[in-house]
Amino acid sequence: MPRIDAHVHVFARACSEFPREVSKQLPADREESVEKLLAQMERSRVDQAVLVQIGGKNLEHHAYLRHCLKAHAGRFLGIGLVHDDDPSPQDHMDRLAVDGDIIGFRLMSMGGPADPLAPMDVRTFSTYPIWKHAAEKDYVLWLYPQAVDAHTVPFLIDAFPQLRVVFNHMLATPGRGSFSWDEKGRPLVKLSQFPPLSRYATMGLHRYENVYVHLSGQYAFSKQAWPYRDLTEWHQRLHIPKDRMQGFGAARLLWATDFPWIVEEPGYDKMTRVVEELMPDLTQQELANIMGRTAQRLLRFPDLPA
Amino acid sequence: MARVNDAQLEQWKLEGYVVVEEALQGDDLRRLQAAFDRCAAQDKAAWLDELALGTQPGAFFDIQQPLERDRVFAALADHPSYVDLLMDFLGEDHVFQGIQIRTLPPSPVSYVGWHPDYAPDTPQHIKLQIYVEDVPADGGAFAFVPGSHKPDAGPYPVYDDLEDMPGHLVFSGAAGTAILFDNHGWHTSMVNTTSLPRKSIILSYGVRQPTA
Repeated sequence: MPRIDAHVHVFARACSEFPREVSKQLPADREESVEKLLAQMERSRVDQAVLVQIGGKNLEHHAYLRHCLKAHAGRFLGIGLVHDDDPSPQDHMDRLAVDGDIIGFRLMSMGGPADPLAPMDVRTFSTYPIWKHAAEKDYVLWLYPQAVDAHTVPFLIDAFPQLRVVFNHMLATPGRGSFSWDEKGRPLVKLSQFPPLSRYATMGLHRYENVYVHLSGQYAFSKQAWPYRDLTEWHQRLHIPKDRMQGFGAARLLWATDFPWIVEEPGYDKMTRVVEELMPDLTQQELANIMGRTAQRLLRFPDLPA
Repeated sequence: MARVNDAQLEQWKLEGYVVVEEALQGDDLRRLQAAFDRCAAQDKAAWLDELALGTQPGAFFDIQQPLERDRVFAALADHPSYVDLLMDFLGEDHVFQGIQIRTLPPSPVSYVGWHPDYAPDTPQHIKLQIYVEDVPADGGAFAFVPGSHKPDAGPYPVYDDLEDMPGHLVFSGAAGTAILFDNHGWHTSMVNTTSLPRKSIILSYGVRQPTA
């Protein structure tokens, strides 16, 4: 079975060949190269991965992502970034997707009303042109909405039932001020409770067959060390129906490590085992789906040479 | 004062729910609507702020500490329109356990799937839902599976679409309608596909348990 890491980040030192935005967490001289990722993948027998753009939304900021996709064709697929308030994002999206290896775009805001009681006309949402174009071009949308967006997402998904949508990081939606970085340089998200309260708005999306969830980022949400057993119940709820919740099933869950943030702690190899640790009752087929087949089928990963 | 009739008792035993139409009407209803809207308006800014912080859900909006806010809410606990039903169904030793004053925004998905509140082997509980404004079937109406409150009922599979639950009833109703249901039974809130929020009040009752 293929093992596919469905959400990782790589970036080069900021330079003229690979320009990117610089921040305290991503200083100009830091790199997390694709070669480093490949070494980790090979040690842990992971075959393929989804490279998710980091370091800026402009076309030029995607230079390293495009370089990696070209240099390792067949091994990776890419998710780009797009300005979520761009009224005409079509050209940006198409230029990034022209080679067929950037297959979708990540959104971290929906641009709809912050008030759930306000009229909800998706055509007025700032990201509507992105959703519409993605649906027309069969791009994937990679969603990491904020808590303030959670109630708006179902309207967009309902409007575009043909669009492939992957919720990031266990369907979590960070609230304002909940995001920071820990002492190990990893994202840290402090939610008031987990499962997140936004689940009331988003869990019902299991009824849409085009909606998927990736299981990753546990380190950022858990209050415990690997294997993050305080997230066991939520993993199982996302998988199977339980009590009031209804699950997505293994055919709509994707495993991911969120490299590079996990390399130092707990280590890449441990992250390849987190699903088995938190969902020990999975059948072999279910485990195979979550660890790669779902991603292979959904994202249309090419077969690797034997 | 409502009188419990044999048909209501029979329906309660067999099906686990009873509907009281016009449980609140006239000035009673108008006072309730006014208190609901006033408290909701007072709480809304805080709710929106907490929603953005991730400390309140956006899928529903509950008025905080309603019993301290207006006597009209406390008076619902033993309203004459249904207190006799509570007496008959739970006994004189029943206790009022809580109240939720809830606004349910429109959404393509429900905030909750089919579920019972309690395991079959637990003491009897009742919930009573009052519609504060008219609730059409597609307006987030309460739904219940008649007979599902019985210990030998089911099993009930979980369905992707709420509408697929066999035998369920969806309770549309006019403002002032009260629905009593045994919350060992399977129930949910249907999807609110209208453009208006559902406004309702949910009261919970149980039986006093002997102290150790």
